[in-house]
Amino acid sequence: MARMKFLCDADRCIECNACVTACKNEHEVPWGINRRRVVTLNDGKPGERSVSMACMHCTDAPCAAVCPVNCFYTTADAVVLHSKDICIGCGYCFYACPFGAPQYPKVGNFGSRGKMDKCTYCAGGPESDFSTIEYEKYGSNRLAEGKLPLCAEMCSTKALLAGDGDMIAEIYKQRVIKRGYGSGAWGWKTAYRETVAI
Amino acid sequence: MLIKRKTSGPGRSFHPAVAIGEAPKALDRRAFLRNSGLVAGGLAAAGSIQLGSMRKAQAAGSSAIGPEVTVKKNICTHCSVGCTVTAEVVNGVWVGQEPSFTSPINRGTHCAKGAAIRELVSSDRRLKYPMKMVDGQWTRISWDQAIDEIGDKITGLRDKYGPDSVYWLGSAKFTNEAAYIFRKLGAFWGTNSVDHQARICHSTTVAGVANTWGYGAQTNSYNDIRNAKTMIILGGNPAEAHPVSLQHVLSGKEINRANMIVIDPRFTRTAAHATDYVRIRSGTDIPVVWGILWHVFENGWEDKEFISQRVYAMDDVRKEVAKWNPEEVERVSGVPGEQLKRVAKLFATEKPATLIWCMGATQHTVGTANVRALCILCLATGNVGKPGTGANIFRGHTNVQGATDMGLDVTSLPLYYGLVEGAWKHWARVWDVEYDWLQARFDEVPAKGGRKSRTRKESMESPGITSTRWFDGVNLPEDQVDQRTGIKAMMVFGHGGNTVTRLPEAVKGLGKLDLLVVADPHPTTFAALDARRDNTYLLPICTSLEMDGSRTASNRSIQWGEQIVKPAFESKNDYEVVYRLAQKLGFGDKMFKNIKVVDNVPEAEDILREINRGGWSTGYCGQSPERLKAHMRNQAKFDLVTLRAPKDDPEVGGDYYGLPWPCWGKPELKHPGTHILYNTNLHIKDGGGTFRARFGTERNGVTLLAEDSFAKGSDLTDGYPEFTMAVFKKLGWDKDLTAEEMASITKTGGANIDAVSWATDLSGGIQRVCLDHGVTPYGNGKARANAWNLPDPVPVHREPIYTPRPDLVAKYPTRPDERQLRMPNIGFSVQKAAVDRGIAKDFPIILTSGRLVEYEGGGEETRSNPWLAELQQDMFVEINTGDATDRGIKDGQFVWVSGPENNAKAKVKALVTDRVGKGVAFMPFHFSGWYQGEDMRKFYPHGTDPVVLGESSNNTTTYGFDPVTGMQETKCTLCQIRAV
Amino acid sequence: MRRTPTTFRTLIAATILTAAVGASSTSFAQQTRDGLNPTGQNPTAESVNEEFLFKQDPKITGRISIPDGKAANLIQPAGRDYRDFREWWLPWLSALAVLGAIALLGLFYFFRGRILMERGPDTGRKILRFNGFERFAHWMTSSCFIILALSGLNYIFGKRLLMPLIGADAFGVVAQYAKFSHIYLAWPFMIGVALMLVLWLKDNIPNKIDIAWIKAFGGFVGDKHPSAGRFNAGQKMVFWMVIGFGSAMSVTGLMMIFPFALTDITGMQLMQVIHALIGIAFIAGILAHIYIGTLGMEGAYDAMGSGKVDLGWAKVHHDLWVEQEQAKNASGPQLGRHQVPAE
Repeated sequence: MARMKFLCDADRCIECNACVTACKNEHEVPWGINRRRVVTLNDGKPGERSVSMACMHCTDAPCAAVCPVNCFYTTADAVVLHSKDICIGCGYCFYACPFGAPQYPKVGNFGSRGKMDKCTYCAGGPESDFSTIEYEKYGSNRLAEGKLPLCAEMCSTKALLAGDGDMIAEIYKQRVIKRGYGSGAWGWKTAYRETVAI
Repeated sequence: MLIKRKTSGPGRSFHPAVAIGEAPKALDRRAFLRNSGLVAGGLAAAGSIQLGSMRKAQAAGSSAIGPEVTVKKNICTHCSVGCTVTAEVVNGVWVGQEPSFTSPINRGTHCAKGAAIRELVSSDRRLKYPMKMVDGQWTRISWDQAIDEIGDKITGLRDKYGPDSVYWLGSAKFTNEAAYIFRKLGAFWGTNSVDHQARICHSTTVAGVANTWGYGAQTNSYNDIRNAKTMIILGGNPAEAHPVSLQHVLSGKEINRANMIVIDPRFTRTAAHATDYVRIRSGTDIPVVWGILWHVFENGWEDKEFISQRVYAMDDVRKEVAKWNPEEVERVSGVPGEQLKRVAKLFATEKPATLIWCMGATQHTVGTANVRALCILCLATGNVGKPGTGANIFRGHTNVQGATDMGLDVTSLPLYYGLVEGAWKHWARVWDVEYDWLQARFDEVPAKGGRKSRTRKESMESPGITSTRWFDGVNLPEDQVDQRTGIKAMMVFGHGGNTVTRLPEAVKGLGKLDLLVVADPHPTTFAALDARRDNTYLLPICTSLEMDGSRTASNRSIQWGEQIVKPAFESKNDYEVVYRLAQKLGFGDKMFKNIKVVDNVPEAEDILREINRGGWSTGYCGQSPERLKAHMRNQAKFDLVTLRAPKDDPEVGGDYYGLPWPCWGKPELKHPGTHILYNTNLHIKDGGGTFRARFGTERNGVTLLAEDSFAKGSDLTDGYPEFTMAVFKKLGWDKDLTAEEMASITKTGGANIDAVSWATDLSGGIQRVCLDHGVTPYGNGKARANAWNLPDPVPVHREPIYTPRPDLVAKYPTRPDERQLRMPNIGFSVQKAAVDRGIAKDFPIILTSGRLVEYEGGGEETRSNPWLAELQQDMFVEINTGDATDRGIKDGQFVWVSGPENNAKAKVKALVTDRVGKGVAFMPFHFSGWYQGEDMRKFYPHGTDPVVLGESSNNTTTYGFDPVTGMQETKCTLCQIRAV
Repeated sequence: MRRTPTTFRTLIAATILTAAVGASSTSFAQQTRDGLNPTGQNPTAESVNEEFLFKQDPKITGRISIPDGKAANLIQPAGRDYRDFREWWLPWLSALAVLGAIALLGLFYFFRGRILMERGPDTGRKILRFNGFERFAHWMTSSCFIILALSGLNYIFGKRLLMPLIGADAFGVVAQYAKFSHIYLAWPFMIGVALMLVLWLKDNIPNKIDIAWIKAFGGFVGDKHPSAGRFNAGQKMVFWMVIGFGSAMSVTGLMMIFPFALTDITGMQLMQVIHALIGIAFIAGILAHIYIGTLGMEGAYDAMGSGKVDLGWAKVHHDLWVEQEQAKNASGPQLGRHQVPAE
């Protein structure tokens, strides 16, 4: 069975932010909400690497565990999604998330964090596939069309890989063998409790 | 309303990576809903806080069948890589972008700008209707009124001051067709002051490269970098400026375990992925290149066979290089000798090796010389004309290569014919107008400032004023400007106002103009500098995504873009505006005689056909619109590395993707285009070629033609000159011409048929016969290590005008004051004054500039796009941690960056980083809308202000121009930084 | 601004830098080779990796160009510890505390029964114990507290107890209202705590009498009533608990209402932990307070109900206070039989 994952090959990532704007474009994500972001480590120094990060769709997702209203669910493709109808915007998932994925629109003056928004792996939400309401709440549903997340599909250097975990791990493994170096599958240990052995 | 719907219809096709399976514990969407719906409705119905709207998605698999989706392909406008943009259009609205997996260039990918490009078309910050400034207030007017008034005003100026008083600034974002008719408009108007962004990005590359081996363009391609075993990236940061190119660079690096050497003053994002990083002092490229060559020659690593067969006067270079021993190189550039030895060895011995450069090499007072030195490095090591080698010059805009090709250049008519009489006569024939009429359009210039007077013919053949100096052309005393008067009107099409150095001088110039017309999707900095009260017009032009036409990527591949949606708001495309202006000026019918015009809009395909009819010199003759469209339809068939389609394909068989020029002969000849220039290992019919015999056959008794080197399958097995009827007759090849071809040649040649050449033969017969004989129409010459026609025939190091090392100026001074391109260039005086006044003490930090991935050029367009603007919200200066500590500057705080001219200062945020070395500061050049600390937002017409504003880096840049092209110095000046 | 580094990194950089500046020579060529101007190394080989970075710091942080500083955290596995706390420790602790408190009080009730009012000469006469404003402060705070407690418990137990009963949608609505009430009622609660502090601080300063009162187990055990002022030591404990826990809840709560305003992700996790732990302790404590003020002791409720208590009861439980009140004014603030004539 397919187990969807993300893998960012930091030796390819050049912080071009295509993943970020592709996401904004595909889902019309508003200003201030960053479902995906690129973090640069060791900035400006030798050893600098950039990693594109969004929801990793963890195995046994911490966000789902800590959610006080159980608004999360995991799809058959192991994509972690949530229902904005049930979410109350408490912010606990952000505290539990190892990757800073959950985002909250600011509504009202204080405390009224809106309903959480995060990467859906381009898989929409609980509404019926391709419905307007699904698009408005969660963005488009590419997975249901047989397409992969646009961030990965548009990645300028093909650093960001999306798809079945075993397949992308194999792609990454082959790359590392071919080129002779690799800084690893960032976040995999934390998200999936496994790593890509080479 | 369904905002976004896809093409795939109700049937679900899963990506191969997605296997459908049932997870034991996983809940699917419907199971989740069932489980959660124990008390469905209930309280939810009472919810009033946006909660109750959840509808049960029980309609299993009811994949909505949305409205009809059409898919359109165009080309991203933000750099020269040429990424295909795939757009989904519903009811005339661009609703989504899909990856363009079939494009061999971008293979589905984009950078931040390309992935956000849809916003450009729907942006509500665009200029929506023509506007005119009346007494300092922007007022809406109609198109008819705008064209009428502008036409009347420039006609008035022409009558009073002559045609050269109106400056025509075009755009690298034009399609080829728009660039071509814009240049033609300049010719019909009677001036050579027609320029565009290439002036400030790669004009020195074009001059330097063309003067070395023939054509001013990237020799290989982005894709071909996959073949390289060693690559040097010098003065370029493609990770930010050309991110998609890094796909090929990094793949090449991985596949071949290639050496990737980055030479730059700044540890760029590209450098982060290098295998060697060489930090140099800004403006010391020639010492570094000569330093590399010193090791090459010292160790005998040069390609001796290649040099003897295909290079002229390499010994002249040896003499200069001998001066640059490791000690002197380190003294001047700061690079240790051992490091350069390693670089030299890798580049010369681990071949094929390619050299990539961008504006770090070109934007200098020694830009042309830098480029020449880089070419010589390629030549000395035999790294030209083969896969994986070459000068891979990454250009900046969608069509900066094409717009240069189309002659938006003060020194040439379209396709590099130059301005000589033969060139004008050639184009007069193509345009079907009388040469005398064209000549009469030009100005007679009286003697002044000690210079002789100029006839109309001389004016016609005299290069115009460069875009880097337009405001000097306004501000300087009239006797210093080599035309009847200074510049009185600026016609600015698709060009930012903040991209040229010395912005304070530009502001002065703007205030003095009699007329300013800005034709652009956005108002641009020109409109918001608060320099004018009236006689200022803004014309809304659509983006090139909203129009048909071809674009030439950096690798010379020409791609046809189709209109994605109709021009937004009241905007019009460039074709229509040029046509209407030409009509208003009274020569519209003459100018568009052979071009189909529908509803005032000239047809792009027909313009391209006219280009094909005249574009022999550069091989722009074979790329008919039909062939280009076939390429876009068949993108998937082209190979990723060779860019070639299988020979048996019915539509594009054997072609290289985008028919990279030169694509010889008429379209019917089906020449495949030339993927790699000067590649002698291929037959010319397969895209092979030789160095161009452009500079004669011999000089001082030494041959300039190749020796024992020729393209595969050539009938001539040695060097040969370019082909004319005279040469044909000698070889007896004139017999091979058909009767029609002969008739055409006879008509062209008139009394002097022997002079008709491969470049002026409108029948294409000469090229056809050349191809049949396996020879290159332009001859088989040697590349020149010594370009005797340039100011420094062999490049020599010259310190920047504002150098942090005044101690080196005596030994390496800039060139003496001279007059170039109708203007004085007083670089020497400025440099001397700076040294005498001890400027380097008061302004101790080198200021350099460059690109950010999120923005492009002047940045008005990209800073108006919220998806991009969110990612870079403040103008900043990168300052070294040491310099910051010395000044008590903290990361993120505001600082004043002050420059040595005009009391210039800029208020920007500090980014404290070791990315820049000590004594170096870096600013991105995309910002504008703040001026010397003041927020200028209110001066934009209402609702058109970009989301993000900031100081322009050019507030603080300084004097300095390349002697060949007038290129500005943006990469090395001095500044001081103080905490606010 | 492009990328915001952490102060920590800047500090390190600055330290290295100061050292380097001191050591470096003045020649340009040499400057380019010192630590500030790295040149010649192999950036590919030197690339950072996860393992290395985790050895330096429990979370991986870099630069990011967007202004959202917390987005610069790339990976923070500490979220797991937070999750363990929230999903394992917290429910058990909460259940233990709340149910434990109820069980203890039940036991106490079972063995001790309701503490009845001792009849005496003053029985039936009333003395004003809390004026209207004091009662307002108390009831505002306490009613807020009850809703805050319930909505707070909902964060822990809602999905376990309520959600299966009423379904996700309905629970979503409840939880949303609960969250709004938790956030909005926090403000009157905080005002109430502040008011109570001002009103009752002077009567709640601990003194020697309290020690005696505690030694006598407050009279809950045995027949003798130890002396007490306006508030006995038990009540003082409740007061200080309310003030202490109330402030802690306010501070941590405010931090959560304005997330990341003053602290980073680690701080936020800590705030949430503190808020939850104190919250359940607070609930347990207040349960006891409610018990003794209502069911546990006859006559106690009147103090906050009508504000007037039975003088006899008062003399038993707050003898010193009654004396003090009566000394202040012969008639004291009491009403009833010994109505003081107007002077």
